[in-house]
Amino acid sequence: MPLKLKTKDKHIKKLAEIVNGPKSILYLKEDLLAYDCDGFTIHRHMPKAVVFPKNTEEVAAIVKYCASHNLPFLARGAGTGLSGGAIPINEEVIISLVRMKRLVHVDLENRRAVVEPGFVNLKLTNSISEKGYYYAPDPSSQYCCTIGGNVAENAGGAHCLKYGVTTNHILGLEVVLPNGEIIEISSDGIPDAPGYDLLGLLTGSEGTLGIVTKITVRILKNPEAKQTVLAYFDKVSDGSYAVSDIISAGIVPAALEMMDKIAIEGVEAASFPVGHPKDIAALLLIEVDGIEAGIDEQIKEILEVCKKRNVREVKVAQNEQERARWWANRKTGFGAMGAISPDYLVQDGVIPRSKLPEVLERINQVSEEVGLRIANIFHAGDGNLHPLVLFDSRKPGETEKALKAGTACLKACADVGGSITGEHGVGIEKMEEMRFVFNEEEIQAQTAIREVFNPKNLLNAGKIFPSPGRCVEIKKEMKATSVKSEEKLLEFS
Amino acid sequence: MVLKENDVKNEPACTTTSLSNYLWSDAPDENKWADCVHCGMCLEACPTYELTGQEQHSPRGRVHLIQSVAEGKLEVNEQFMDPVNQCLDCRACTTACPADVDVGGLIEEARGQIRQAMPLKGWKGMVSKLFLEELFPYPNRMNSFGGLLKFYQKSGVQNLVRKTRLINIMPSHLVEMEAVMPEIKVPVRKLFKNEEVIKAKGTEKGTVSFLTGCIMDVMFSDINESTINVLTHNGHNVSIPKKQTCCGALHVHAGDRETGRKLAKQNIEAFKDADKVIVNAAGCGCMLKDYPELFREDAEWKEKAEVFAAKVEDVSKYVHDNGYEKPKSEIKTRLTYHDACHLAHGQGIREEPRKILLDIPGVEMVHMPNSDRCCGSAGIYNITNPEMAGAVLERKMENVPDDVDMISMGNPGCMLQMAIGVEKYGRSQQVVHTIQLLDWAYKKDAEKEKSNKGGEK
Repeated sequence: MPLKLKTKDKHIKKLAEIVNGPKSILYLKEDLLAYDCDGFTIHRHMPKAVVFPKNTEEVAAIVKYCASHNLPFLARGAGTGLSGGAIPINEEVIISLVRMKRLVHVDLENRRAVVEPGFVNLKLTNSISEKGYYYAPDPSSQYCCTIGGNVAENAGGAHCLKYGVTTNHILGLEVVLPNGEIIEISSDGIPDAPGYDLLGLLTGSEGTLGIVTKITVRILKNPEAKQTVLAYFDKVSDGSYAVSDIISAGIVPAALEMMDKIAIEGVEAASFPVGHPKDIAALLLIEVDGIEAGIDEQIKEILEVCKKRNVREVKVAQNEQERARWWANRKTGFGAMGAISPDYLVQDGVIPRSKLPEVLERINQVSEEVGLRIANIFHAGDGNLHPLVLFDSRKPGETEKALKAGTACLKACADVGGSITGEHGVGIEKMEEMRFVFNEEEIQAQTAIREVFNPKNLLNAGKIFPSPGRCVEIKKEMKATSVKSEEKLLEFS
Repeated sequence: MVLKENDVKNEPACTTTSLSNYLWSDAPDENKWADCVHCGMCLEACPTYELTGQEQHSPRGRVHLIQSVAEGKLEVNEQFMDPVNQCLDCRACTTACPADVDVGGLIEEARGQIRQAMPLKGWKGMVSKLFLEELFPYPNRMNSFGGLLKFYQKSGVQNLVRKTRLINIMPSHLVEMEAVMPEIKVPVRKLFKNEEVIKAKGTEKGTVSFLTGCIMDVMFSDINESTINVLTHNGHNVSIPKKQTCCGALHVHAGDRETGRKLAKQNIEAFKDADKVIVNAAGCGCMLKDYPELFREDAEWKEKAEVFAAKVEDVSKYVHDNGYEKPKSEIKTRLTYHDACHLAHGQGIREEPRKILLDIPGVEMVHMPNSDRCCGSAGIYNITNPEMAGAVLERKMENVPDDVDMISMGNPGCMLQMAIGVEKYGRSQQVVHTIQLLDWAYKKDAEKEKSNKGGEK
């Protein structure tokens, strides 16, 4: 017997009908509060309701209803995003896709799999690993984040240095457009379809162009061999130079990660400590994989590079358990900051590898200027920085300071010809910073693309692009730098 | 847009007035939620999130709600109570959390507030009062209750109730429970009531004190006997302090922290002279180790509780760490091991019981996927939240391999729940306690020795 709804709101009653009952909709304050933010906790807004569709048709029906009644709406997966892409800033109806979590089909012969958007990233690898396959993009939140969310944010991960980010692994999508229409893009999963690259456009559009309801992904054969190295350095600059040297030597590691002193303090105080020395300035976690022959050679070369750069200690993982422990320590790094700070703000700048020492030094200065500690855990191999600004939101003024520090870090990245986001997306967090890398015309050109898909702007409005006309002074200043950045970007690519 | 004057704040934030809607002492601890950065690593670990997909039923969602009450954004009401009470308290999130957030502790503290703001009513209140307040804390009443159950089983009443379908007046989940009720035997506290210390066999290694548990000693006294046998077999004298009582876990889970404290004090006193407190029920062990949490606002008892907690050890870990004789007789069985939540997540004990089982000749261990996933027993959760408990159990049973003879574990609540699962899903496995199996192997050794000696004569 269906329970009666505790509301008179006609929209909620109608939405409850679409998803078939009271257990698939939330609308009371106490329940909604759990949805007032995602992994980005600085801004919080209450949604109108959260609905839990079971299939594409229900998603389409919800979208149609919202569109025809001018209700803002957005899609949400596990809510682990770090830029606020799933925060309902316009009191949206949240369409939670976590109940659409089937692994629809695995096609080993053609090395692809079809999943629903709520399917958890790591579960894909877990379901095919026994047969010798895996799904390559591995964001650190892969234990719980959904592949739908990965598509929205074009998620990266530690192993994307060698294997590419999410967009390089998406072969086809089923999408509900903002008017409720269902379309399929390359549903047969054949790569490089003729015509415009809509897959590329949709992937990383941060949920502003459509809602993905089925995803065909590429799966890879497990590498024949794998070796992992851990190197401790007394100077951050030595570690940074080692990163450049390894790549210059012609090695393409599967992963090349760096953590600095404060980050190490965090992970060692948290649930998955490795026993890193407390007094080192930086560590590198390096993994090489591929065919058996040649792996040992590469490891030898890496060890030599590290020694040349004054490494204090360097070791190769002796077994799978040791390797897994090192990775758990790295991958839980963001959450681990909770052990040494009540709040953190993570930034996601990208820089040319050669600028690592310079930018890390600048971040250090920022930390001193605002008086907040900044930890660094990042994908050094592809120059994707993650400065984690540590603060306590209970202390008056600290949140503002943290935001300021975050912006300054991104500015530092843009100034050396880098970018403001590598894998976390822009969301609401980095909207203003978009001006560091794009001028007004470029921003308008992109919002024009959005209007083609999302003309009423009801789907996830107010994300990615700063609204025109705001912050005139910043704009002026940024325009000057963005021209400079553009030139550098060319150089970078 | 023009800013209104009173929108702009020119004074420092006011931090002196508490906005908290927790009105009683022993409120949820701010330092516990300050560790949570909302990263979401806990989501997939949580059985209730897995089943509902709703974040208010996830660890980070619950932490967020508990914090919001303290910040005055929510009140302690039924809508808040639901997510807090639906938590199984399985602590899987504690294992998953990178920052070691004590979600379980927060949940229990919040339940303490809920219990006081909204006292239990109706049949749940009656059941809770009868069992938690009037029965479990009193060993004598527990014995009488056991006697009653025994009478029910032996006198033919059980058969009569089942045959006449009189049993159908009970809710279905209680019928399921009745069907797997173990055969009631003599509690060890009665069996050994005249012995100050049960003497070790062979070389003495010292004396340990044994917490027999309230339900354990009535429903599973054979496991208590096995525990004593295994301990004495390996050189440990065993004392059973007479003044001990129920550990209070069920009370604390249900938010009755006051009774929890009363029982804790009695146990701390009862085991004052003990060097080691041995427990064979994971749920009890975890509670005993958590006693200091109950006395956050009472420095004197907190200190005592800390001294006590440091002495508590699960029997499997104690036996494993202090050396044990490997049995020689074979117990030919294929078994799988279930990690009781309060052993694996609560106390970090995973390897020790498995090693003990593998040291028994003839035991072949089959891997159970997601072995540390809650079975849905969770204290009396399966009585108070039958729907969710049933769904969690169904998931659990899907993971139990088909081709095993036994499921081994270290917690009586799980044993009862898994037995229900075996019955309900038409499976055939025998549910055993790890220590029981070791005891059976020792007994086989003894019999062999006896018959060998007999043969020599």
